[in-house]
Amino acid sequence: MIALPLLKRATEDGVTFLLTPARAASSTSFTVATALAREATPARMPPRALAPGEQYRFHFDMATCIGCKCCVVACNEQNGNPAAINWRRVGEIEGGWYPRTQRAYLSMGCNQCLEPTCLSGCPVDAYAKDPVTGIVLHSADACIGCQYCTWNCSYGVPQYNPERGVVGKCDMCHGRLALGQTAACVSACPTGAIQIEIVKIAEWRAAASASAPAAGVPAGDQSLSTTRITLPVDLPPNARAVDLLRVAPADPHWPLVAMTVLTQLSVGAFATIWLLQLLGASTRLGVAALTSLAVGALALAASTLHLGRPIYAYRALKMWKRSWLSREVLLFTAFSAVACLYAAALWTGLPGGVLVGALTVALGIGGVTASACIYCVPSRPAWNTPLTLVQFNLTAAMLGPLFAAASGAGNPRWLAIVSATMAGIILVVLTLRFFRLSASDSVELQASARLLSTTLASRLVVRGVLLVVGAIALPLFTADPLIRWVSFATALGGETLGRYLFFISAVPKHMAAPYLGSEAA
Amino acid sequence: MSLRRALGLDTRPERYAYAVDPTIGYTARRKIPDRWVRTTCGYCSVGCGMFVGVKEGRAVSVRGDLDHPVNAGMLCPKGLSEHETIHAANRARFPLLRGRDGLERVSWDDAIGTMVRKFREVQASYGPQTVGVISTGQLVTEEFYTLGKLVQLGLGTPNYDGNTTLCMSAAVAGYKRSFGSDGPPGAYDDLERADVIFLIGANIADNHPILWQRLEANPGKTLIVADPRVTKTAMLADLHLPVKPRSDLAMINGLIHIVIARELIDREYIAAHTTGFDALRESVREYTPERVAEITGLSVENLHRTAWLYGNARAAFIGWTMGVNHSTKGTETVNAINNLALITGNIGRSGAAPFSITGQCNAMGTREAGFTSSLPGYRHFASAEDREDLAALWNVPVEQIPTARGLPYPDIIEAILDRRIRALWIIATNPIVSFPNLGVLRQALETVDFLVVQDGFHPTPTSTLAHLVLPAAIWGEKEGTYTNSERRISKVNRAVEPPGEARTDFDIFLDVAAALGCRERLFPGWTTPEDAFEEWKRVSAGRLCDYSGMTYDAIEALGGIQWPYPAGHADAAETRRLYTDGRFQTEDGKARLLPVTWEPFPEQPTSAFPFVLNTGRTVEHWQTRTKTGQVPILDRLSPNAWLEINPRDARTLRLKPFDRVDVVSQRGRIRNLELRMTETVATGQVFVPFHWANANANQVTQSAFDPISREPNYKQCAVRVERTQRGTV
Repeated sequence: MIALPLLKRATEDGVTFLLTPARAASSTSFTVATALAREATPARMPPRALAPGEQYRFHFDMATCIGCKCCVVACNEQNGNPAAINWRRVGEIEGGWYPRTQRAYLSMGCNQCLEPTCLSGCPVDAYAKDPVTGIVLHSADACIGCQYCTWNCSYGVPQYNPERGVVGKCDMCHGRLALGQTAACVSACPTGAIQIEIVKIAEWRAAASASAPAAGVPAGDQSLSTTRITLPVDLPPNARAVDLLRVAPADPHWPLVAMTVLTQLSVGAFATIWLLQLLGASTRLGVAALTSLAVGALALAASTLHLGRPIYAYRALKMWKRSWLSREVLLFTAFSAVACLYAAALWTGLPGGVLVGALTVALGIGGVTASACIYCVPSRPAWNTPLTLVQFNLTAAMLGPLFAAASGAGNPRWLAIVSATMAGIILVVLTLRFFRLSASDSVELQASARLLSTTLASRLVVRGVLLVVGAIALPLFTADPLIRWVSFATALGGETLGRYLFFISAVPKHMAAPYLGSEAA
Repeated sequence: MSLRRALGLDTRPERYAYAVDPTIGYTARRKIPDRWVRTTCGYCSVGCGMFVGVKEGRAVSVRGDLDHPVNAGMLCPKGLSEHETIHAANRARFPLLRGRDGLERVSWDDAIGTMVRKFREVQASYGPQTVGVISTGQLVTEEFYTLGKLVQLGLGTPNYDGNTTLCMSAAVAGYKRSFGSDGPPGAYDDLERADVIFLIGANIADNHPILWQRLEANPGKTLIVADPRVTKTAMLADLHLPVKPRSDLAMINGLIHIVIARELIDREYIAAHTTGFDALRESVREYTPERVAEITGLSVENLHRTAWLYGNARAAFIGWTMGVNHSTKGTETVNAINNLALITGNIGRSGAAPFSITGQCNAMGTREAGFTSSLPGYRHFASAEDREDLAALWNVPVEQIPTARGLPYPDIIEAILDRRIRALWIIATNPIVSFPNLGVLRQALETVDFLVVQDGFHPTPTSTLAHLVLPAAIWGEKEGTYTNSERRISKVNRAVEPPGEARTDFDIFLDVAAALGCRERLFPGWTTPEDAFEEWKRVSAGRLCDYSGMTYDAIEALGGIQWPYPAGHADAAETRRLYTDGRFQTEDGKARLLPVTWEPFPEQPTSAFPFVLNTGRTVEHWQTRTKTGQVPILDRLSPNAWLEINPRDARTLRLKPFDRVDVVSQRGRIRNLELRMTETVATGQVFVPFHWANANANQVTQSAFDPISREPNYKQCAVRVERTQRGTV
């Protein structure tokens, strides 16, 4: 039987490790040891134990891979995953001209990054980087199914399992390594194209930033993938991923559409109420504040519907030092609490209302900003821009006055001018946003632009019309109180549709996918 | 969704738990079986050894057999998920008889009784030969042997053939003509020992990944691949010969021309072991490199280079599959390959063989033991000696042994349309998807008076047309042996019980025999496949495919034994090749060098149908997807059919990647294919995989058959490509 390298190192160094030798020892019988030792092909497993400053990684030899997808099937069998979830996937890259054509395959599991962004974004600390092996581990028990990690990973590695309500990912068959076995994909590969090897972390870190990615291999980001890929020597210069022109709309995430738009509405409304209070208005402010509070509560309720495990929503507060998602939850929770006090103050006319209002608005703007920061992730280039921040705040600034006007608070004329101005800026931002997409060199941004100008074009036009009608035309040119509600509802519809487009037009960064359609990007 | 799941209290931890299995180690707990059953893969003819994991009566997992001489523990993606085929939702469970309201459940007694009565009525009215039988390459050898006797001696019709005629009959006929007998002469071991490997019309990296692994284990090889497509195999070759469609025969004749002209031939071997060299030399005189370059589209330099590499090889291996066989010139192309191998002495030696890589898991078994294109044991219908030999072994009057083969598969279909065949029994095959020129076949199956479909699956596109459906056990549910491409007999075993009332094909055949009243005469005392195996061993004794030294236990213990393995032979495990002594199965013991002539393929492109359509496979699927379409992971990895077209042609047609297109020939239309623009196909050619019933390539293929082997010309027909019209799908 070969040595169990990770256990050996763990024992030597006496560091905290996630693998418990007790578990491995109690379940490892002599038969296991002999059978497994035979299975682990020496060339596919590190021959020695890890030294300090080292971790495991995958090596993928694109020159020998024949694209048979044994690795994918073996992975699904190993982990008992349904067919729709593939912790290891095989993409295709093609180039050249007949008959000097080359099609290469890219098989990828988790890249066991040095700075895993799945981990750093996780609001509940469900991820851990194993100090012994460097493997990025995920705990289904800790996970609440927020799926933020699926946005944070540029390689599409963590995948949400709707059957369980939690995410799962490749852990390099950590449990098999602990028994001296190699990973299922490595073991199943008929050509030995996948191996597990040792990487010296400092050297890799130094080299990672310098190396340019190959076609079809996603550009490295701040997460620092450890996977080493051997490219075929004769890969033609025009080689590229075969799925580039296949663009399907992404998941609209309806609960998040509702949650973001309604929290922004609530924050905008409280900000307007507070400004009106500062300016000396007092009509119906209490009613407007109570209604806004109800909207905010609805938004928070909607957000839990996005979770695979809503009952554990509270856990999302845990990682506020690190995760924007935690911060968002924290700020909106505080916003709601203080907004209650503010509404009560307005209702009862108690003193100090302006100060509480200021705090409410500050927390609200903080919450909206945290919301926007969640979406500023490198793996979703369409979102990853300050325009997202501007846009979220503009939604608040436009819907707030409209809502106040409809509630009968403040001077409708002035409110109409404010909301129309904000709507005008939104139109400018939208134009900038579209220009940014279509003028970019980035494959993902171009694909987003293509989606918006083809499949989603009519929806985009409707979104613009709703904005112009609801936030500019109706408020500026009518004075009927009932129309103010229509105007508000129309503008709200426009923002909702806009947010829906925001979600479904975001083309993620991803590894090369196969040509045929059903596999997730 | 349960409330507990909706709230997030239940993440199904039991279902997703892991545990340690004593054999395979750490894995998903529900994949850990109670016991492992050793068997052989039931998809293709590579013949990989594997174990099926059984838990509470269900097959839950598989693993490769590390000790198996073929695959050393590796499996392809189909093999890795093969347990999923057994518990598929569309398994046939009960006998079904067509009544007023369609197919209705009946008892087995009713089913077999009705079948035999109908067959006997047809035979009484129109003659014994008016019942046709079409079988398969999917059964175990014991079943083929039983079925052959049952059909020819019990049912009394010679019109019995298998779907094997659709895939390797050209190889069979080619071997018979060149060497006097069927039987691929080499071994997989040759892939590891040859210094030149020449693959013709074979994409083994995609279609036989485990053989690719064997080939890759040979560090010193030079790999030459002739294929009109740039397949993965072609991409990985040292030399890819992008031949024009169906110009392979001219290419080989051209290579023979060069090796003779440059004296790269083995004159000693030619003189001692072949006949017909002078005629061959004359016949290839006109295949000058220049002319061959024109026919094949290859450069003169590459022809010389190939001839030089092959002719100078210490041991050269030629492997081929459907690129050669699926052709009206298939048999003669096989003869050309054999010619090239023979004149250079590349046969009967380690690393040197002209080697047909067969298709189905037990196509070889039906070739050996079946009773279709030969008498069992590669005996000849025409040989009185062979017939007497067999009659004596079976203790039947020699007059009962037919003197000529009956109708081959395509001719059975034609005979149905002529009303020369009135009843048909189809076993474990799905012609509605696999037979060329669907329109004609559909008409035949709808015309026949009584159609019996015996299959492990129902409904299939074919079984839904049946008057009677007999539910059969499949791989994993029955016992017997398979022969792989290298003539290795491996054991398959029952891991689980068949679903519902399904029975093994062996039991069904014995039941039919009993109803026909011939069970005791033909199968005295038989109850298990081993009874058939024991008789087959006696029948094969002394023949080229000699099983007489084998036992089930020995086969099991060694992970297969190659024939010939006569009783008393010493080393069961050694690698065996045919014709090592240069003695062939012809009357004079010499191989025949056969002059063969290249001809253009039958349906040339026209202005109305400007593209040449090529058909083929993808690694995730097997044949007509009856099985792999039911395996969720394979269906996900390869969910739909597509059309490959060169980007220049696509631009001319103003098509974009992922557009939906139809492929139209004179005979029909394949609808709604996903367009794949790729430089792996040449301009003027397009490619469609043939696996999908809902995008059936045989809606456009033609009724053109090899005059010798009767194998269909699936590979080239003239088509045009059109954008799919909305509303027509």
